[in-house]
Amino acid sequence: MASRSVARNKLARTLTLRIASVLLILLVLSFITFTLLYLAPGDLVKNLLGNRPSTPEAIAAVRAQYHLDDPFLVRYVDWLLSALRGDFGVSIRLQQPVTMVIASRIGVTTGLIGLSFLVAVVSAIPLGILSAARNGTRIDRASNAVSLFGLSAPSFALAILAISVFALWIPIFPAYGAGNGGIDRLWHLVLPAAVLAAGIGAILMRMTRAAVLRELESDAITFARSRGVTEGTIQRIALRGALIPIVTSAGLILTFIIGGTIIVETVFALPGIGQLLQEAVLFKDLPVVQAITLLIAAAIAIITIIVDVSYLLLDPRVRARELNA
Amino acid sequence: MKNVITHPGRRRVRAAAVLLSAAALVLTGCASGGSDSDTDSSDVTLIDTGKEIEEVTVAFPGSLANLYIGQESGILNYNLAATVQEGLTKQDADGTIVPALAESWETPDPSTYVFKLRKDAKFQNGDPVTPEDVVFSITQAADPEASPGTYYYLTNLASAEKTGDNEVTVKSVNPDATFLINLSNTGAVVVTQKAFWEEHGGNVGTSDSLLMGTGPYKVTEFQPDSHVQLERVDTWWGGIPKAKSIRINFIPDASTRLAAAQKGDVDIAFNVPINQAETWKKIDGMRVESLNDLSYVGLMFDQNVAPFDDIDVRTAIAQSIDRDAITEKLLRGYGEAATAIMTPESLSNAFGGEEARKELADLPQNKYDLDAAKDLIAGTPADGLKTELTYPNTGPQIGIAAQAIAESLKKIGIEVKVREVPIEEWLATIGDGEHGLSFMWYFSTTGDPSEVNGYLLGPDNPNAFVSDKAAALITEANALTDPKERAEKLLELEKLNAEEVVNAPIWWGKSLTAISNTIGITDYSPYTFTGVWGAQLFAAEVK
Repeated sequence: MASRSVARNKLARTLTLRIASVLLILLVLSFITFTLLYLAPGDLVKNLLGNRPSTPEAIAAVRAQYHLDDPFLVRYVDWLLSALRGDFGVSIRLQQPVTMVIASRIGVTTGLIGLSFLVAVVSAIPLGILSAARNGTRIDRASNAVSLFGLSAPSFALAILAISVFALWIPIFPAYGAGNGGIDRLWHLVLPAAVLAAGIGAILMRMTRAAVLRELESDAITFARSRGVTEGTIQRIALRGALIPIVTSAGLILTFIIGGTIIVETVFALPGIGQLLQEAVLFKDLPVVQAITLLIAAAIAIITIIVDVSYLLLDPRVRARELNA
Repeated sequence: MKNVITHPGRRRVRAAAVLLSAAALVLTGCASGGSDSDTDSSDVTLIDTGKEIEEVTVAFPGSLANLYIGQESGILNYNLAATVQEGLTKQDADGTIVPALAESWETPDPSTYVFKLRKDAKFQNGDPVTPEDVVFSITQAADPEASPGTYYYLTNLASAEKTGDNEVTVKSVNPDATFLINLSNTGAVVVTQKAFWEEHGGNVGTSDSLLMGTGPYKVTEFQPDSHVQLERVDTWWGGIPKAKSIRINFIPDASTRLAAAQKGDVDIAFNVPINQAETWKKIDGMRVESLNDLSYVGLMFDQNVAPFDDIDVRTAIAQSIDRDAITEKLLRGYGEAATAIMTPESLSNAFGGEEARKELADLPQNKYDLDAAKDLIAGTPADGLKTELTYPNTGPQIGIAAQAIAESLKKIGIEVKVREVPIEEWLATIGDGEHGLSFMWYFSTTGDPSEVNGYLLGPDNPNAFVSDKAAALITEANALTDPKERAEKLLELEKLNAEEVVNAPIWWGKSLTAISNTIGITDYSPYTFTGVWGAQLFAAEVK
């Protein structure tokens, strides 16, 4: 009992440390994003006034309205203090509270990412395992070719190909848009999710294959084979050894997806976070860029922590090292 | 039009919209167009079936962030607002100013306009339009913080007051021929309800505040990056339109837009890209209409940036632009070589189409002449100059022209690096004091002749061009109410531009619109989509 509570304390301490370091990273990141957007080309006043004549007085009024003449650090601290109070400001471009804007978009993006991750995992991991188990055979070569295609085809080209094939020639899926919720939403997300899944699925398949292959070629497996352990058992042992690299790569890949959403959401005209972020950056809509950047960073951090914690569950050796040391 | 007759395979020469019967129309290009591409308009003859339309699906090439033209004032914002919110005045198919919410007006002196409001005008919630609402809307439209997109048009506003139960009196600081058009929905004024505005603390046009107007359609749903849903109302003084609802989908990717149309998901597509025109024309059951769209594309020279302060440098660059090759070959006829900043259409009140073209062509021109340009540039500080020319990602046709211009300039010893940038970045380069050479791309919403040249040559112009003469000409022109006298003054202004080479005009643009043959539009003209176009749609059949 005592050793178990010690272990739990250690786990709690590890998690606390991790969360504290995440908060520090978010703070640094918010400053870097703020600086980069400040330095990026473009002019908020011009974006607001459009390609039209304007008087110096009006330009001054707009600059004052958005505190554009305040020193850089003052603007950052103003933002930070509001953010710490939970107030992420109002989107300049959309003239709505940032939290509301993000809330209205998050459903589409999480749906898209969730679906594409699911597609990638259920297709790539079994394929990777199969490919490793049948190393050098025709199945292996074929699955490698598929993954090479997924890896090298640019998302936008793949998206247009998908629309041409599955929305025009074989009209199963809609060509664009996010649908009207429920099943309709899911139906609209299938093609974009498949496109997004192609790239990450390919990476995941390769990593799975490599990890399983490494395990299969390890001394332990060779020894097990020599002892006459059945092939089924051997594969199970190898798979368990390969789980950590697979989970790690799956976690890493989930963070990759976020970048891919920008392209996929634009081509499929999906009102998600990716499109929102892209337009906010171009418009210099600082409150939106800051909030989304932090949201993504926090999501990545949480995923990383979950992956790390999962090691404890997956591998007794890690569990022993981390908690009983 | 000469070329058309000799063009093999084209037997029919089409002119203006031919009225077959009260409701049957031939939808063709603008009759006043003198360029070949007018004949590219579709030759589909449509008949009005008289039926109602359940829903018209419109594809916009990009998203709107805000629906209020005072907050975001791109051409698409105007297109959308035009069928939802009205001004005191509006423009008809010829661009003439006609009554909208005001049924009539008087001008007791050149700076005073007394508007009689329509008694039957109602907001989309059923409330009557009051003079207070109108005064409030004008005041908000003139405020740079509430309406950064439109306030400039009302800088000449002196006052707006209720002067009767159905009367509003608006005064200008100086007599101004553009004042009346600025009180229209194509200028700065779209009338909203004061109570609605205040309920939302002035944050209107967003997805949770939407718009309140007096037009035939009301906005019932708006999701940026996705769609706008419009439903017809029975409160419009002009009657009940045929289409029950209009759904506008934002589809930024050109290939996706095309696929959606090929799939039959689009009834009207705005701004079909020129390089896709041929593919769009092949879509079954759709026609592609091209019309002069009152837009202007030209080069600007920032005179604060050396060596563009040297008139010889500017002239040599202007002489290096092969306008005819650009419009005929690169734009495939979807554009007209510009001989001035103002478009021939904008002069329609002063001259007929061809006469306006002739007047503008008679202005001094910097004709394409590389030898002359080479001679002129020798000995100027521009010898061996390296510079950058950016163009917005939303105008690929401008990029094509930029490459051609860079090619020519190379021959006279100027090295130009052409770079595509997001439209926001491009906007920031205009008049930034760093980019000496840049593009000006301007969609005139009012079609008023002084809208663009007044901006590019008048006070606060982005070229850093300082000229009392130009300022005086603009003031004088805008004080004149006779269209012809005013046009004469503006021609003088254009002459000054040509002589000083402040701007080098390149082309007047055309917009391509793809429309399903099940949908017809009455009075189709360059002014259609800045008017109450929703009410002009009818269910059609190919004859």
